Amino acid sequence: MINLRGVCKQYKGTFALNNIDLDIQQGEFVFLTGSSGAGKSTLMKLLYREEKPSVGNVLVAGIDVVRLPAHKVPLLRRCMGIIFQDYKLLEKQNVYDNVAFVIRTLGLSSRDIDNRVKSALKIVGLSHKMTSKPTELSGGEQQRVGIARALVNGPSILIADEPTGNLDPQTSLEIMEILEKINQRGITTLISTHDHAMVNHFRKRVITLEHGRIIKDVQQGTYE
Amino acid sequence: MNNDSINSNKRSKASIIVTDIIIFYRVLMETIKGITQAGMMNIFIIGTMAAILTIFGCIFRTSIALGSVVKELGKVLEISVYLKPDANLKDAVFEVRNIPSVDRINVIPKQKAWTNFRKTVDLPNIENPLPDTLHVRVKSQKDIKQVAKSIEGLKEVEDVKYAHELAEKMREVSDISHTATIIILIVSGFLTMFIINNTIQIVIASKRKEIEIMRLMGVSDWYIRMPLVLQGAFYGLSGTLIAIIPVLILQRYIDKTYEFFAVPQNPMTINVVIATILFMGVVFCACGSFVSIKKHLNI
Repeated sequence: MINLRGVCKQYKGTFALNNIDLDIQQGEFVFLTGSSGAGKSTLMKLLYREEKPSVGNVLVAGIDVVRLPAHKVPLLRRCMGIIFQDYKLLEKQNVYDNVAFVIRTLGLSSRDIDNRVKSALKIVGLSHKMTSKPTELSGGEQQRVGIARALVNGPSILIADEPTGNLDPQTSLEIMEILEKINQRGITTLISTHDHAMVNHFRKRVITLEHGRIIKDVQQGTYE
Repeated sequence: MNNDSINSNKRSKASIIVTDIIIFYRVLMETIKGITQAGMMNIFIIGTMAAILTIFGCIFRTSIALGSVVKELGKVLEISVYLKPDANLKDAVFEVRNIPSVDRINVIPKQKAWTNFRKTVDLPNIENPLPDTLHVRVKSQKDIKQVAKSIEGLKEVEDVKYAHELAEKMREVSDISHTATIIILIVSGFLTMFIINNTIQIVIASKRKEIEIMRLMGVSDWYIRMPLVLQGAFYGLSGTLIAIIPVLILQRYIDKTYEFFAVPQNPMTINVVIATILFMGVVFCACGSFVSIKKHLNI
């Protein structure tokens, strides 16, 4: 599903990623760990073409992401769900609109949109908060809105960059359980995290980055 | 997910049309939302656009009017050509007619001129001293100098006279008005783009987060861009509609001036002027918006 070959990313002479080779199979649940500046976010940005590698190939579901024409990048991103640490919600819009606004641009009928949004909100357990504004929600609820938005277009890959970075341990666990539930539907899930407890609790594949290199790749691994 | 699915989904034509209509409707809604959110800023922008387009429209219309008057007056200017005593009148007329830009030739044989002259002045019975004369009109007063020079060079011609200074002044006025129009067009164009660019930058700044999220979520560039481009076009259109009022008032004064100089009027001219400021307002504003948001969408 995700293949990186000889990927390097350089910023002004410094390697954010250095000679990365990586394969993630369809339906896998993978934790990407490492200290700040290890290159986790950069690696994720390469997958949805927010960044381009200095050298190397990035394939996502067989698509050559590096050579993908700029006008097709939105189509690539629509096949993915992206979740951010800071949620990136539109504060002036309610929960429903935050989840719906992306699929509104696709020309779906109002009924289709309604069905999809309600279904996504049901998965994250926020059906009762559809009319709330993000400012009226807790951090965990806001992140659940972010997850619903990522899910609403039926992605085959879910990319979450530090999804629990701003949350307390209990809420983090709830968010991770939602992500695991989503993964069980066959959606490839890649999560970057600093959270030792979560990684150790779920015992999934763990890829550890340090100074832009993969130093460990363990199935059912732990955070060390 | 594969390259094929990214390239296209096979859908029926009808479903594509329905989808496009829905998207267009939502883009329009986004545009209206953007305009509503701009609040009082709309008045400032539309007022400024109206002022620029009014200045341009009035100068453009005045320049056309001036051009028409100058052209009409220029038609009245004649070159008087005096032939040599032994010149063949028919040959001279033939040669003058062959000069490019010559419009009409009024031939006054020396005998006719002498007869007419004697009717006005009581003269003793002397030999006719007047030469054969041609009164030549040119197609455009701009060419009068060149035509006079060409006629001077003909072997049958003794002397050539025309209102040299008046012709020069008319040509200068015409040239200045054309140059002024072009300069004003360029300046107004830049001003329009500059103002709309700054305005859209403010709108973008207030929507920066929204645009970033839309980009990351896979919303097409054009969908992000189009409401802002339409918003720019709306400002241009509104400014034009206001600018048309003073231009129409100016037109009434120009009509009176035309009547005074007995210059024939072309009713299409005001339509051309309105179409030009409409084009300038809408297209320049839309382009200004397009350019200013382009850099925010670099992937």
